[in-house]
Amino acid sequence: MGGPRPCLERNPVDLAAHHQAQRSSGAHRARSRAGGSMKFIFADSLDYVDPAFDFIADRSPAERQPYWDDAYPHEILGYAPYDGVLVSRGIVGDHRVKGKYTASQARRFRLVGARKFLRLDKPEFAHLDIFGDCGAFTYVQDEKPPYTPVEMAEFYDECGFTHGASVDHIIFDFDAGLAGLAGGSTDARQRFDITLENAEGFLREAKVMDAGFTPMGVIQGWSPGSMAEAARRLVAMGYDYLALGGMVPLKSPEIKLCLEAIRDTVPASTRLHILGFAKADDIDSFHGYDISSFDTTSPLIRAFKDAKQNYYLPGDGLALRYFTSIRVPQAIENPKLQRAVKKGMFRAEELVRLEALALGSLRAFDRDEAGLEETLHHVLVYSAPLVEEKPYEDCAASPSLARLAERYRTTLAERPWKQCSCKICRDAAIDVIIFRGSNRNKRRGIHNLAVYQDHIERLDLKRAVEPSDDLPRRLCAAEQ
Amino acid sequence: MTYLAVCAQQSSEHKVLSFAAKAADVLRFAAIDRIGRDAQGELSGFQRPQVAAHIREIRDYLEKPDAVLPNPIVVAFTDRVSVEDLGNGAVQLAIDMSSSVPGLVVDGQQRLSALADLDRDFQVFVSALICRDEAELRRQFVLINNTKPLPKSLIYELLPTVGDLPPRLSRRSVASDLTARLNFENTALKGYIKQHTCPEGIIADTVMQKIIMESLSNGVMRELIRGAKGEERCVRLMSNFFDAVKKVWPEAWHGQKPNTSRLLHGAGIQAMGDVMEVLAERGEARTVEDFRTGMECLKDKTAWTAGEWHMDGEVRRWNGLQNVNRDVALLKHYLVGIVKADLRKKAKRAPAPLLEPTADRS
Repeated sequence: MGGPRPCLERNPVDLAAHHQAQRSSGAHRARSRAGGSMKFIFADSLDYVDPAFDFIADRSPAERQPYWDDAYPHEILGYAPYDGVLVSRGIVGDHRVKGKYTASQARRFRLVGARKFLRLDKPEFAHLDIFGDCGAFTYVQDEKPPYTPVEMAEFYDECGFTHGASVDHIIFDFDAGLAGLAGGSTDARQRFDITLENAEGFLREAKVMDAGFTPMGVIQGWSPGSMAEAARRLVAMGYDYLALGGMVPLKSPEIKLCLEAIRDTVPASTRLHILGFAKADDIDSFHGYDISSFDTTSPLIRAFKDAKQNYYLPGDGLALRYFTSIRVPQAIENPKLQRAVKKGMFRAEELVRLEALALGSLRAFDRDEAGLEETLHHVLVYSAPLVEEKPYEDCAASPSLARLAERYRTTLAERPWKQCSCKICRDAAIDVIIFRGSNRNKRRGIHNLAVYQDHIERLDLKRAVEPSDDLPRRLCAAEQ
Repeated sequence: MTYLAVCAQQSSEHKVLSFAAKAADVLRFAAIDRIGRDAQGELSGFQRPQVAAHIREIRDYLEKPDAVLPNPIVVAFTDRVSVEDLGNGAVQLAIDMSSSVPGLVVDGQQRLSALADLDRDFQVFVSALICRDEAELRRQFVLINNTKPLPKSLIYELLPTVGDLPPRLSRRSVASDLTARLNFENTALKGYIKQHTCPEGIIADTVMQKIIMESLSNGVMRELIRGAKGEERCVRLMSNFFDAVKKVWPEAWHGQKPNTSRLLHGAGIQAMGDVMEVLAERGEARTVEDFRTGMECLKDKTAWTAGEWHMDGEVRRWNGLQNVNRDVALLKHYLVGIVKADLRKKAKRAPAPLLEPTADRS
């Protein structure tokens, strides 16, 4: 059994000193990339907010132009809360795959390139990587990927990506128990072959066109063994940076099995990236696997997609702490409430009144002008139509409202937004914790990114300063 | 509540009268009855839900000190009102507020909602209709709200002459202005654009406005229009581009119509809009000659008036392309792909100087 073999890449003392210096240097906290710390790549999908958004009037200025007047996380925070950005071709979209970009945004992206589009074309962001992949989840249902290796290589090259992933096809039905190339459905094997064939063509094309990006070979497999075999073949083709695809549905122990099998097969100098790493909160347990980089969007997404863990704060030791954000949806915009109004279950005017009461008391609470229980009550009265689709009087004792009350009580009692000094929390105050509309929700997500980046930084430090007990083997691996 | 109103002689069945009232008071004597069904499935009410964006736009306008709202809110009553004739068409309207809200808002609910959050003592005209029953009231609602909107192209053509528009319309207004200038000034498109006041034009004005708006929001004109003589330069750029288009495909342009040439069709014009962007952004094309050289690579690969398109493994008859998003995107991708490949080829060739560097720019 191989086991993890991370290398010790930085002198711990120097690193600590360096880190200290970075922290006090203020404005841009460009992290040193000379060392080998794990890179946190943020998977973007037009995650910007309007800096001029007015929380009280609850609106953007009338003349706001989406994208142009909005700010990316690295703009609103004043520094990049990540080491790079990943843009999926599927998010940009084209004539075959409907992306998240509008058609004219997609056109502009392709004309001016990723760095300029993402507004990372400034000296302080020059160290940031721009990763690209195909967004294999967008065409998961198709028999073949819609892109050829040539057109992907051209796409990365013309858009100025620093790293580009080969054209992969996601394999399902993962079986952790299979060894070598055993098992695998016909479909899985077809996708395995497509992925490797594409990787070969992709590398060839990138060389022919003298591409400006580092090609990454994507690993797809149905088991740790098949992934290791894919990795072996990719290395044989000439790749020295591999990306693990299809990890999203896998659990942490399964991902680790794959990493172990791959690490056992490829040279220590081969760099590994995890594509779409949904287990980002569990990253500390992956420290032994010598991952060079991973991309995720989860700290941002969790702000508004998770039922409970919406707001991050650093916790004790190396942990993170989570808080539930307080839902106060827009009475006349929320689809669920609108449906209820259409059916005649609630009067819009009544919902608007309850909404104003909830928002008003939350703000009063923040100014210490309203008590916790009173505030909580107003919030719950307005939550009832959303959660139970009933007036509060008819469901005050419902278990889901009780659970909600419990989590909200914690959030209100601890006032986490007052414990954070990031620009977002300073400017938005209690509004950062209110679950309502893109401008609050994404701000909370961007705050989470900043907390998460610090989290990664602390883990990297810990690894360098306190090597764990398998030090001899690590040193051995590093010397290879 | 009582109001001094004027009464109009219209029908012997109903009374119609008009008065001024504060928005907050209107909401006291008239409710907005939204359509819904009760537990038995019985339909009640008639109003649609509030539209947040619409209300916001109205509120933005009403917050201005010079805002006026001349069209009245229509309120209907079936009972609990009395009208006392004061002579000369003047009446005294008395509304009985003793039990629930007696009136229903038939028209103007979004305006009322906008006014409700406004911190201004703003009076509106109220047209009150006293009908015999609920059914009549509902009939009025349907009739009032089933009017035919003005033709878009008329509205768009008027926009440039109207100041202080909501941003949604002011962006359209700039595009509309540029379109009109292209159509009536000395340009390659003079007389070619079909507008309300130029019905013999060939290219749809809305299509032309679309490519201009896209360019203004995310393309080459965004920078261009901000500079000195910005509008002038935008008109020149478009004119130069379409001049070049005419030179590259004279037979697909002159004497043709959208149904005889895809080049003048919505799909063709929109796709060519993207070609202009690529040449202007990547190839820095500005003159007729720049654009013409840039489009040479497309000359033999189009099927504007006959034959077939071979795009991305998809074969379409020349007129098999419609002005629908998917077809437009397909054509854009195809044409832009050829132009980009050509630009790449030229860029790779550029570093090795030719014996006569001007030779290939004939």
